Amino acid sequence: MKTQQKLDLYKLHKAEYAATRKPALVELQPATFLAISGQGAPGGERFTASIGALYGVAFTIKMTRKFAGGQDYSVCKLEGQWGSESAQDFAKLPRDQWLWKLLIRTPDFIGEEDLRQAVAVLLKRGKGKAVKSVRLETLAEGPCIQMLHVGPYDKECETIAVMKAFAEKQQLQFSGKHHEIYLSDPRRVAPERLKTILRQPVRQS
Amino acid sequence: MRTITLHDYKLRMLRVLVHIQKHLDDPLALEELARLACFSPCHFHRVFKGMVGESVKEHIRRLRLERAASHLKLSAAPVTHIAFDAGYESHEGFTRSFRAAFGLSPSQFRRSKKRKTATAAPSGLHYGHGTAVREFKTTRPRDRSMKVKIEHREPIHVAFMRHVGPYGEVGATWDKFLPVLGKEGLLGGDSLFIGICHDDPEVTPPDKVRYDACVTVDESFQPAGDIGVQVIPGGEYAVTTHFGPYQKLGETYTELLGQWLPRSGHELRATPCFEVYLNDPQSTDPEDLVTDIYAPVQSEPGFTNLTSKPNSKGNSRK
Repeated sequence: MKTQQKLDLYKLHKAEYAATRKPALVELQPATFLAISGQGAPGGERFTASIGALYGVAFTIKMTRKFAGGQDYSVCKLEGQWGSESAQDFAKLPRDQWLWKLLIRTPDFIGEEDLRQAVAVLLKRGKGKAVKSVRLETLAEGPCIQMLHVGPYDKECETIAVMKAFAEKQQLQFSGKHHEIYLSDPRRVAPERLKTILRQPVRQS
Repeated sequence: MRTITLHDYKLRMLRVLVHIQKHLDDPLALEELARLACFSPCHFHRVFKGMVGESVKEHIRRLRLERAASHLKLSAAPVTHIAFDAGYESHEGFTRSFRAAFGLSPSQFRRSKKRKTATAAPSGLHYGHGTAVREFKTTRPRDRSMKVKIEHREPIHVAFMRHVGPYGEVGATWDKFLPVLGKEGLLGGDSLFIGICHDDPEVTPPDKVRYDACVTVDESFQPAGDIGVQVIPGGEYAVTTHFGPYQKLGETYTELLGQWLPRSGHELRATPCFEVYLNDPQSTDPEDLVTDIYAPVQSEPGFTNLTSKPNSKGNSRK
Protein backbone atom coordinates (compact mmCIF):
# COMPACT_ATOMS: atom_id res chain seq x y z
CA MET A 1 0.00 0.00 0.00
CA LYS A 2 1.09 3.56 -0.58
CA THR A 3 0.29 4.75 2.93
CA GLN A 4 3.84 4.20 4.20
CA GLN A 5 5.21 6.92 6.44
CA LYS A 6 7.54 9.26 4.59
CA LEU A 7 11.10 8.93 5.83
CA ASP A 8 12.71 12.11 7.11
CA LEU A 9 16.36 11.44 7.95
CA TYR A 10 16.82 14.67 9.89
CA LYS A 11 13.91 13.76 12.15
CA LEU A 12 15.05 10.16 12.44
CA HIS A 13 18.52 11.29 13.53
CA LYS A 14 17.29 14.24 15.52
CA ALA A 15 20.19 14.29 17.95
CA GLU A 16 22.63 14.79 15.06
CA TYR A 17 20.81 17.88 13.77
CA ALA A 18 19.54 19.50 16.97
CA ALA A 19 22.01 22.37 17.22
CA THR A 20 21.45 25.47 19.33
CA ARG A 21 23.44 28.66 19.72
CA LYS A 22 25.45 26.92 22.43
CA PRO A 23 28.21 24.49 21.41
CA ALA A 24 27.61 20.81 22.15
CA LEU A 25 29.49 17.56 21.74
CA VAL A 26 27.60 15.06 19.59
CA GLU A 27 28.41 11.58 18.32
CA LEU A 28 27.79 11.09 14.59
CA GLN A 29 26.94 7.66 13.22
CA PRO A 30 28.15 6.74 9.72
CA ALA A 31 25.79 8.24 7.14
CA THR A 32 25.25 8.03 3.37
CA PHE A 33 25.39 11.13 1.19
CA LEU A 34 25.17 12.12 -2.44
CA ALA A 35 28.26 14.26 -2.92
CA ILE A 36 29.99 16.44 -5.48
CA SER A 37 33.41 18.05 -5.01
CA GLY A 38 35.20 21.01 -6.47
CA GLN A 39 37.49 23.93 -5.88
CA GLY A 40 36.78 27.64 -5.92
CA ALA A 41 34.72 30.40 -4.43
CA PRO A 42 31.20 29.65 -3.21
CA GLY A 43 28.74 31.22 -5.65
CA GLY A 44 31.10 30.70 -8.59
CA GLU A 45 29.99 29.07 -11.83
CA ARG A 46 31.34 25.64 -10.96
CA PHE A 47 29.84 25.80 -7.50
CA THR A 48 26.39 26.80 -8.74
CA ALA A 49 26.36 24.14 -11.46
CA SER A 50 27.34 21.56 -8.84
CA ILE A 51 24.45 22.50 -6.57
CA GLY A 52 22.08 22.11 -9.54
CA ALA A 53 23.58 18.74 -10.45
CA LEU A 54 23.41 17.45 -6.90
CA TYR A 55 19.78 18.45 -6.45
CA GLY A 56 18.88 17.11 -9.90
CA VAL A 57 20.34 13.71 -9.03
CA ALA A 58 18.81 13.69 -5.54
CA PHE A 59 15.31 14.46 -6.82
CA THR A 60 15.58 12.10 -9.78
CA ILE A 61 16.56 9.18 -7.52
CA LYS A 62 13.82 10.00 -5.04
CA MET A 63 11.07 10.42 -7.64
CA THR A 64 12.10 7.34 -9.63
CA ARG A 65 11.85 5.31 -6.45
CA LYS A 66 8.57 6.90 -5.50
CA PHE A 67 7.12 6.19 -8.96
CA ALA A 68 8.06 2.53 -8.55
CA GLY A 69 6.16 2.46 -5.25
CA GLY A 70 9.26 2.23 -3.02
CA GLN A 71 9.69 3.80 0.39
CA ASP A 72 9.18 7.54 0.09
CA TYR A 73 11.55 9.97 1.79
CA SER A 74 12.26 13.70 1.93
CA VAL A 75 15.26 15.07 0.09
CA CYS A 76 17.39 16.53 2.89
CA LYS A 77 18.90 19.98 2.99
CA LEU A 78 22.18 20.92 1.38
CA GLU A 79 25.33 20.37 3.44
CA GLY A 80 28.94 21.18 2.69
CA GLN A 81 32.45 20.27 3.78
CA TRP A 82 35.20 22.84 3.43
CA GLY A 83 38.97 22.64 3.45
CA SER A 84 42.18 23.31 1.56
CA GLU A 85 45.04 21.30 0.12
CA SER A 86 47.49 22.59 2.67
CA ALA A 87 46.93 21.95 6.33
CA GLN A 88 46.29 25.66 6.73
CA ASP A 89 42.97 27.05 7.92
CA PHE A 90 41.09 27.34 4.62
CA ALA A 91 39.22 30.47 5.65
CA LYS A 92 42.51 32.39 5.61
CA LEU A 93 43.34 31.34 2.04
CA PRO A 94 42.10 33.08 -1.11
CA ARG A 95 38.65 31.76 -2.00
CA ASP A 96 39.76 30.28 -5.31
CA GLN A 97 41.85 27.80 -3.31
CA TRP A 98 38.95 26.59 -1.21
CA LEU A 99 38.07 22.93 -1.62
CA TRP A 100 34.45 22.03 -1.12
CA LYS A 101 32.27 19.01 -1.13
CA LEU A 102 28.52 19.56 -1.39
CA LEU A 103 26.38 16.88 0.22
CA ILE A 104 22.78 15.76 0.49
CA ARG A 105 22.06 13.10 3.09
CA THR A 106 20.40 10.09 1.51
CA PRO A 107 18.83 6.91 2.91
CA ASP A 108 21.13 3.86 3.10
CA PHE A 109 18.87 1.91 0.76
CA ILE A 110 19.92 4.15 -2.14
CA GLY A 111 22.71 2.36 -4.00
CA GLU A 112 25.12 2.79 -6.91
CA GLU A 113 22.56 1.42 -9.37
CA ASP A 114 20.05 4.13 -8.39
CA LEU A 115 22.75 6.75 -8.91
CA ARG A 116 23.84 5.32 -12.27
CA GLN A 117 20.26 5.28 -13.58
CA ALA A 118 19.54 8.83 -12.43
CA VAL A 119 22.72 10.20 -13.99
CA ALA A 120 21.96 8.40 -17.27
CA VAL A 121 18.44 9.76 -17.51
CA LEU A 122 19.54 13.32 -16.64
CA LEU A 123 22.31 13.20 -19.25
CA LYS A 124 19.84 11.96 -21.84
CA ARG A 125 17.68 15.04 -21.11
CA GLY A 126 20.66 17.35 -21.48
CA LYS A 127 20.61 18.49 -17.86
CA GLY A 128 24.32 19.33 -17.74
CA LYS A 129 27.44 17.19 -17.57
CA ALA A 130 28.10 18.03 -13.92
CA VAL A 131 25.73 15.22 -12.87
CA LYS A 132 28.49 12.77 -13.87
CA SER A 133 30.57 13.99 -10.91
CA VAL A 134 27.96 13.10 -8.29
CA ARG A 135 29.06 10.20 -6.03
CA LEU A 136 27.60 8.16 -3.20
CA GLU A 137 29.71 8.45 -0.06
CA THR A 138 29.65 7.42 3.56
CA LEU A 139 30.87 9.86 6.16
CA ALA A 140 31.81 8.59 9.61
CA GLU A 141 32.56 11.75 11.53
CA GLY A 142 32.36 10.32 15.06
CA PRO A 143 32.60 12.86 17.88
CA CYS A 144 31.90 16.43 16.71
CA ILE A 145 31.39 19.85 18.21
CA GLN A 146 28.24 21.32 16.79
CA MET A 147 26.63 24.75 17.06
CA LEU A 148 23.96 26.79 15.29
CA HIS A 149 25.29 29.86 13.50
CA VAL A 150 22.77 32.62 12.82
CA GLY A 151 23.99 35.30 10.44
CA PRO A 152 26.02 35.78 7.27
CA TYR A 153 28.40 33.04 6.18
CA ASP A 154 31.37 35.39 6.44
CA LYS A 155 30.75 35.80 10.18
CA GLU A 156 31.10 32.08 10.83
CA CYS A 157 34.59 32.58 12.30
CA GLU A 158 32.97 34.05 15.43
CA THR A 159 30.93 30.89 15.98
CA ILE A 160 33.91 28.70 15.16
CA ALA A 161 35.95 30.54 17.82
CA VAL A 162 33.29 29.67 20.43
CA MET A 163 33.37 26.03 19.28
CA LYS A 164 37.14 25.96 19.50
CA ALA A 165 37.18 27.31 23.04
CA PHE A 166 34.53 24.77 24.01
CA ALA A 167 36.62 21.94 22.53
CA GLU A 168 39.79 23.05 24.26
CA LYS A 169 38.06 23.16 27.62
CA GLN A 170 37.39 19.45 27.21
CA GLN A 171 40.89 18.60 25.99
CA LEU A 172 39.60 18.08 22.46
CA GLN A 173 41.08 19.40 19.26
CA PHE A 174 39.63 20.00 15.80
CA SER A 175 40.40 17.09 13.52
CA GLY A 176 38.77 16.57 10.15
CA LYS A 177 36.83 18.70 7.75
CA HIS A 178 34.68 21.65 8.72
CA HIS A 179 31.08 20.69 7.91
CA GLU A 180 28.04 22.94 7.47
CA ILE A 181 24.33 22.22 7.16
CA TYR A 182 22.40 24.95 5.37
CA LEU A 183 19.02 25.33 7.03
CA SER A 184 18.09 28.56 5.23
CA ASP A 185 17.82 29.54 1.59
CA PRO A 186 20.43 32.24 0.90
CA ARG A 187 18.61 33.31 -2.30
CA ARG A 188 15.89 35.11 -0.33
CA VAL A 189 16.67 35.00 3.39
CA ALA A 190 18.46 38.10 4.66
CA PRO A 191 22.11 37.37 5.60
CA GLU A 192 21.55 38.25 9.27
CA ARG A 193 18.77 35.66 9.49
CA LEU A 194 20.57 32.76 7.77
CA LYS A 195 20.68 29.63 9.93
CA THR A 196 23.56 27.21 9.47
CA ILE A 197 24.61 24.28 11.64
CA LEU A 198 28.40 24.20 11.99
CA ARG A 199 29.96 20.84 12.71
CA GLN A 200 33.58 20.10 13.46
CA PRO A 201 34.96 16.59 14.06
CA VAL A 202 37.24 16.43 17.11
CA ARG A 203 39.64 14.03 18.79
CA GLN A 204 41.33 13.83 22.20
CA SER A 205 44.32 16.13 22.29
CA MET B 1 0.53 58.66 -21.98
CA ARG B 2 -0.71 59.47 -18.49
CA THR B 3 -0.05 56.98 -15.73
CA ILE B 4 -2.75 55.24 -13.80
CA THR B 5 -3.26 56.57 -10.29
CA LEU B 6 -4.87 55.36 -7.12
CA HIS B 7 -7.65 57.83 -7.93
CA ASP B 8 -8.38 55.98 -11.20
CA TYR B 9 -8.55 52.70 -9.37
CA LYS B 10 -10.92 54.17 -6.82
CA LEU B 11 -13.22 55.61 -9.47
CA ARG B 12 -13.45 52.22 -11.12
CA MET B 13 -14.05 50.43 -7.85
CA LEU B 14 -16.76 52.98 -6.98
CA ARG B 15 -18.78 51.81 -9.96
CA VAL B 16 -18.76 48.34 -8.51
CA LEU B 17 -19.60 49.55 -5.02
CA VAL B 18 -22.54 51.64 -6.26
CA HIS B 19 -23.79 48.72 -8.31
CA ILE B 20 -23.67 46.41 -5.28
CA GLN B 21 -25.61 48.91 -3.15
CA LYS B 22 -28.29 49.18 -5.83
CA HIS B 23 -28.59 45.46 -6.46
CA LEU B 24 -28.25 43.96 -3.03
CA ASP B 25 -30.94 41.39 -3.75
CA ASP B 26 -29.59 40.21 -7.07
CA PRO B 27 -27.14 37.39 -7.44
CA LEU B 28 -24.01 39.41 -8.10
CA ALA B 29 -21.67 37.45 -10.33
CA LEU B 30 -18.02 38.25 -9.92
CA GLU B 31 -17.46 38.43 -13.70
CA GLU B 32 -20.20 41.01 -14.04
CA LEU B 33 -18.81 43.16 -11.23
CA ALA B 34 -15.32 42.91 -12.70
CA ARG B 35 -16.60 44.05 -16.10
CA LEU B 36 -18.26 47.11 -14.59
CA ALA B 37 -14.89 48.32 -13.42
CA CYS B 38 -12.88 47.09 -16.40
CA PHE B 39 -10.94 44.69 -14.19
CA SER B 40 -9.87 41.36 -15.52
CA PRO B 41 -12.13 38.76 -13.84
CA CYS B 42 -9.19 36.56 -12.93
CA HIS B 43 -7.70 39.23 -10.67
CA PHE B 44 -10.79 41.13 -9.57
CA HIS B 45 -11.48 39.37 -6.27
CA ARG B 46 -7.99 40.10 -5.02
CA VAL B 47 -8.02 43.73 -6.12
CA PHE B 48 -11.40 44.19 -4.45
CA LYS B 49 -10.33 42.61 -1.18
CA GLY B 50 -7.11 44.56 -1.08
CA MET B 51 -8.79 47.90 -1.79
CA VAL B 52 -12.02 47.52 0.16
CA GLY B 53 -10.62 45.46 3.01
CA GLU B 54 -13.16 42.63 2.74
CA SER B 55 -14.05 40.13 0.04
CA VAL B 56 -16.98 40.76 -2.31
CA LYS B 57 -18.93 38.08 -0.48
CA GLU B 58 -18.19 39.56 2.95
CA HIS B 59 -19.06 43.03 1.69
CA ILE B 60 -22.45 41.99 0.33
CA ARG B 61 -23.21 39.97 3.43
CA ARG B 62 -22.37 42.88 5.72
CA LEU B 63 -24.49 45.35 3.74
CA ARG B 64 -27.42 42.95 3.84
CA LEU B 65 -27.08 42.60 7.62
CA GLU B 66 -26.92 46.38 8.02
CA ARG B 67 -30.04 46.68 5.92
CA ALA B 68 -31.74 44.06 8.09
CA ALA B 69 -30.80 46.04 11.20
CA SER B 70 -32.37 49.15 9.76
CA HIS B 71 -35.54 47.24 8.78
CA LEU B 72 -35.78 45.89 12.32
CA LYS B 73 -35.81 49.45 13.62
CA LEU B 74 -37.95 51.08 10.97
CA SER B 75 -40.53 48.42 10.13
CA ALA B 76 -42.77 45.98 11.97
CA ALA B 77 -42.01 43.12 9.59
CA PRO B 78 -41.52 39.73 11.28
CA VAL B 79 -37.92 38.75 11.91
CA THR B 80 -38.31 35.70 9.63
CA HIS B 81 -39.19 37.97 6.69
CA ILE B 82 -36.26 40.21 7.40
CA ALA B 83 -33.99 37.17 7.65
CA PHE B 84 -35.24 35.95 4.30
CA ASP B 85 -34.69 39.39 2.73
CA ALA B 86 -31.14 39.34 4.05
CA GLY B 87 -30.54 36.17 2.08
CA TYR B 88 -30.78 33.67 4.94
CA GLU B 89 -32.77 30.50 4.61
CA SER B 90 -33.13 29.90 8.31
CA HIS B 91 -33.95 32.07 11.28
CA GLU B 92 -31.06 30.45 13.18
CA GLY B 93 -28.47 31.26 10.56
CA PHE B 94 -29.62 34.86 10.46
CA THR B 95 -29.64 35.17 14.26
CA ARG B 96 -26.10 33.77 14.46
CA SER B 97 -24.71 36.19 11.88
CA PHE B 98 -26.65 39.11 13.28
CA ARG B 99 -25.41 38.47 16.80
CA ALA B 100 -21.84 38.21 15.55
CA ALA B 101 -22.18 41.61 13.87
CA PHE B 102 -24.25 43.55 16.42
CA GLY B 103 -23.76 41.68 19.69
CA LEU B 104 -27.54 41.24 20.12
CA SER B 105 -30.11 38.90 18.64
CA PRO B 106 -32.42 40.50 16.02
CA SER B 107 -35.36 40.78 18.45
CA GLN B 108 -33.16 42.13 21.24
CA PHE B 109 -31.80 44.66 18.79
CA ARG B 110 -35.32 45.69 17.78
CA ARG B 111 -36.29 46.31 21.43
CA SER B 112 -33.02 47.97 22.39
CA LYS B 113 -32.24 51.67 22.31
CA LYS B 114 -29.36 50.99 19.94
CA ARG B 115 -29.78 53.02 16.80
CA LYS B 116 -26.57 52.39 14.99
CA THR B 117 -27.07 50.02 12.09
CA ALA B 118 -23.52 50.29 10.79
CA THR B 119 -20.91 47.68 11.63
CA ALA B 120 -17.15 48.04 11.58
CA ALA B 121 -15.80 48.29 8.04
CA PRO B 122 -12.32 49.34 6.95
CA SER B 123 -13.75 51.04 3.86
CA GLY B 124 -16.22 53.18 5.81
CA LEU B 125 -18.95 52.02 3.42
CA HIS B 126 -22.36 51.17 4.80
CA TYR B 127 -25.82 50.24 3.70
CA GLY B 128 -27.91 53.22 2.76
CA HIS B 129 -25.27 55.06 0.80
CA GLY B 130 -26.96 53.82 -2.36
CA THR B 131 -25.88 55.77 -5.39
CA ALA B 132 -24.50 58.44 -3.09
CA VAL B 133 -21.32 56.40 -2.64
CA ARG B 134 -18.68 58.94 -3.60
CA GLU B 135 -15.68 57.89 -1.58
CA PHE B 136 -14.33 55.00 0.40
CA LYS B 137 -11.19 54.39 2.41
CA THR B 138 -8.65 52.11 0.81
CA THR B 139 -6.90 49.81 3.21
CA ARG B 140 -3.44 51.10 3.97
CA PRO B 141 -0.64 48.69 3.26
CA ARG B 142 0.13 46.74 6.42
CA ASP B 143 3.77 46.77 5.67
CA ARG B 144 4.54 49.80 3.57
CA SER B 145 7.92 48.39 2.74
CA MET B 146 6.51 45.52 0.65
CA LYS B 147 9.31 44.84 -1.79
CA VAL B 148 8.11 44.57 -5.37
CA LYS B 149 10.20 44.60 -8.50
CA ILE B 150 9.10 44.74 -12.10
CA GLU B 151 10.61 41.91 -14.09
CA HIS B 152 10.42 41.04 -17.76
CA ARG B 153 9.93 37.30 -18.35
CA GLU B 154 10.14 35.36 -21.55
CA PRO B 155 7.26 32.92 -22.08
CA ILE B 156 7.73 29.88 -19.80
CA HIS B 157 7.12 26.39 -21.19
CA VAL B 158 5.77 24.09 -18.51
CA ALA B 159 4.46 20.57 -18.11
CA PHE B 160 1.51 20.60 -15.74
CA MET B 161 -1.03 18.50 -13.95
CA ARG B 162 -4.41 20.05 -13.19
CA HIS B 163 -5.76 19.81 -9.66
CA VAL B 164 -9.48 20.33 -9.14
CA GLY B 165 -10.45 20.47 -5.48
CA PRO B 166 -9.59 22.21 -2.23
CA TYR B 167 -6.49 24.40 -2.47
CA GLY B 168 -5.11 22.80 0.67
CA GLU B 169 -4.90 19.44 -1.11
CA VAL B 170 -2.71 20.41 -4.06
CA GLY B 171 0.14 18.51 -2.40
CA ALA B 172 -1.48 15.24 -3.50
CA THR B 173 -1.34 16.38 -7.14
CA TRP B 174 2.35 17.32 -6.81
CA ASP B 175 2.94 13.89 -5.26
CA LYS B 176 1.47 12.26 -8.35
CA PHE B 177 3.05 14.64 -10.84
CA LEU B 178 6.70 14.86 -9.75
CA PRO B 179 7.52 11.11 -9.77
CA VAL B 180 6.34 10.89 -13.39
CA LEU B 181 8.65 13.75 -14.42
CA GLY B 182 11.44 12.70 -12.09
CA LYS B 183 11.89 9.21 -13.49
CA GLU B 184 12.23 10.74 -16.96
CA GLY B 185 15.09 12.97 -15.86
CA LEU B 186 12.98 16.10 -16.14
CA LEU B 187 13.78 17.45 -12.68
CA GLY B 188 17.20 18.95 -13.25
CA GLY B 189 18.69 21.39 -10.79
CA ASP B 190 17.42 24.34 -12.82
CA SER B 191 13.77 23.21 -13.00
CA LEU B 192 11.27 25.73 -11.67
CA PHE B 193 8.30 24.55 -9.64
CA ILE B 194 5.34 26.79 -10.41
CA GLY B 195 1.74 26.96 -9.23
CA ILE B 196 -1.13 28.66 -11.04
CA CYS B 197 -4.35 29.13 -9.11
CA HIS B 198 -7.22 29.84 -11.50
CA ASP B 199 -9.96 30.39 -8.94
CA ASP B 200 -10.49 32.23 -5.72
CA PRO B 201 -11.05 29.72 -2.94
CA GLU B 202 -13.36 32.27 -1.32
CA VAL B 203 -15.68 32.45 -4.30
CA THR B 204 -15.43 29.09 -6.01
CA PRO B 205 -16.73 26.05 -4.11
CA PRO B 206 -13.72 24.14 -2.73
CA ASP B 207 -14.38 21.08 -4.88
CA LYS B 208 -14.24 23.21 -8.06
CA VAL B 209 -11.07 25.24 -7.43
CA ARG B 210 -8.63 24.74 -10.34
CA TYR B 211 -4.91 24.77 -9.77
CA ASP B 212 -2.06 23.78 -12.10
CA ALA B 213 1.08 22.19 -10.69
CA CYS B 214 3.78 23.10 -13.24
CA VAL B 215 7.44 22.29 -13.87
CA THR B 216 9.54 24.02 -16.54
CA VAL B 217 10.37 21.81 -19.53
CA ASP B 218 11.83 22.47 -22.96
CA GLU B 219 9.80 22.58 -26.14
CA SER B 220 10.49 18.94 -26.98
CA PHE B 221 8.35 17.72 -24.08
CA GLN B 222 5.34 15.75 -25.26
CA PRO B 223 2.13 15.80 -23.20
CA ALA B 224 0.88 12.37 -22.12
CA GLY B 225 -1.91 11.03 -19.93
CA ASP B 226 -3.00 13.63 -17.40
CA ILE B 227 0.13 15.70 -17.94
CA GLY B 228 -0.38 18.62 -20.27
CA VAL B 229 1.78 21.40 -21.64
CA GLN B 230 1.13 25.13 -21.48
CA VAL B 231 3.02 28.34 -22.01
CA ILE B 232 2.89 30.97 -19.29
CA PRO B 233 2.76 34.24 -21.25
CA GLY B 234 5.85 36.42 -21.21
CA GLY B 235 5.88 40.14 -20.51
CA GLU B 236 6.16 42.38 -17.50
CA TYR B 237 5.46 41.00 -14.06
CA ALA B 238 5.33 42.61 -10.64
CA VAL B 239 7.21 40.20 -8.37
CA THR B 240 7.19 39.96 -4.61
CA THR B 241 8.37 37.27 -2.22
CA HIS B 242 6.10 35.55 0.27
CA PHE B 243 7.78 34.18 3.40
CA GLY B 244 6.00 31.51 5.43
CA PRO B 245 3.28 28.90 5.08
CA TYR B 246 1.45 28.39 1.78
CA GLN B 247 -1.86 28.88 3.62
CA LYS B 248 -0.96 32.55 3.95
CA LEU B 249 -0.10 33.14 0.28
CA GLY B 250 -3.58 34.64 -0.22
CA GLU B 251 -2.75 37.52 2.11
CA THR B 252 0.34 38.43 0.11
CA TYR B 253 -1.62 38.26 -3.17
CA THR B 254 -4.24 40.58 -1.70
CA GLU B 255 -1.61 43.02 -0.55
CA LEU B 256 0.19 42.98 -3.89
CA LEU B 257 -2.90 43.32 -6.09
CA GLY B 258 -5.15 45.38 -3.85
CA GLN B 259 -2.74 47.66 -2.05
CA TRP B 260 0.55 47.89 -3.88
CA LEU B 261 -0.86 47.77 -7.42
CA PRO B 262 -3.34 50.70 -7.25
CA ARG B 263 -0.50 52.92 -6.03
CA SER B 264 2.06 51.62 -8.51
CA GLY B 265 0.96 53.20 -11.79
CA HIS B 266 0.44 49.75 -13.30
CA GLU B 267 -2.50 47.90 -14.73
CA LEU B 268 -3.02 44.14 -14.58
CA ARG B 269 -2.97 42.09 -17.75
CA ALA B 270 -5.68 39.48 -18.27
CA THR B 271 -3.42 36.48 -17.76
CA PRO B 272 -3.17 34.56 -14.49
CA CYS B 273 -0.79 35.25 -11.65
CA PHE B 274 1.62 32.47 -10.81
CA GLU B 275 3.83 31.48 -7.90
CA VAL B 276 7.32 29.96 -7.93
CA TYR B 277 8.20 27.68 -5.02
CA LEU B 278 11.83 28.19 -4.06
CA ASN B 279 12.17 25.46 -1.48
CA ASP B 280 10.99 21.94 -0.84
CA PRO B 281 7.99 21.86 1.52
CA GLN B 282 8.90 18.30 2.51
CA SER B 283 12.15 19.28 4.16
CA THR B 284 11.35 22.88 5.11
CA ASP B 285 9.38 24.15 8.10
CA PRO B 286 6.28 26.08 6.95
CA GLU B 287 7.66 29.27 8.52
CA ASP B 288 10.80 29.01 6.38
CA LEU B 289 9.07 28.47 3.02
CA VAL B 290 9.90 31.05 0.37
CA THR B 291 7.63 31.70 -2.63
CA ASP B 292 7.88 34.33 -5.37
CA ILE B 293 4.53 35.71 -6.56
CA TYR B 294 4.27 37.01 -10.14
CA ALA B 295 1.43 39.34 -11.18
CA PRO B 296 1.22 40.22 -14.90
CA VAL B 297 1.27 44.00 -15.34
CA GLN B 298 1.57 46.72 -17.95
CA SER B 299 2.30 50.34 -17.42
CA GLU B 300 -0.19 51.71 -19.97
CA PRO B 301 -3.87 51.89 -19.12
CA GLY B 302 -5.65 48.95 -20.69
CA PHE B 303 -8.86 50.92 -21.05
CA THR B 304 -9.76 54.32 -22.39
CA ASN B 305 -12.68 55.22 -20.16
CA LEU B 306 -10.72 55.22 -16.94
CA THR B 307 -11.73 58.62 -15.73
CA SER B 308 -15.37 58.62 -16.75
CA LYS B 309 -17.82 58.84 -13.88
CA PRO B 310 -19.63 55.83 -12.49
CA ASN B 311 -22.32 55.32 -15.07
CA SER B 312 -25.74 55.20 -13.48
CA LYS B 313 -27.22 53.79 -16.66
CA GLY B 314 -24.59 51.13 -16.83
CA ASN B 315 -26.57 48.47 -15.02
CA SER B 316 -27.42 45.73 -17.41
CA ARG B 317 -30.11 44.11 -15.29
CA LYS B 318 -33.32 45.51 -13.95
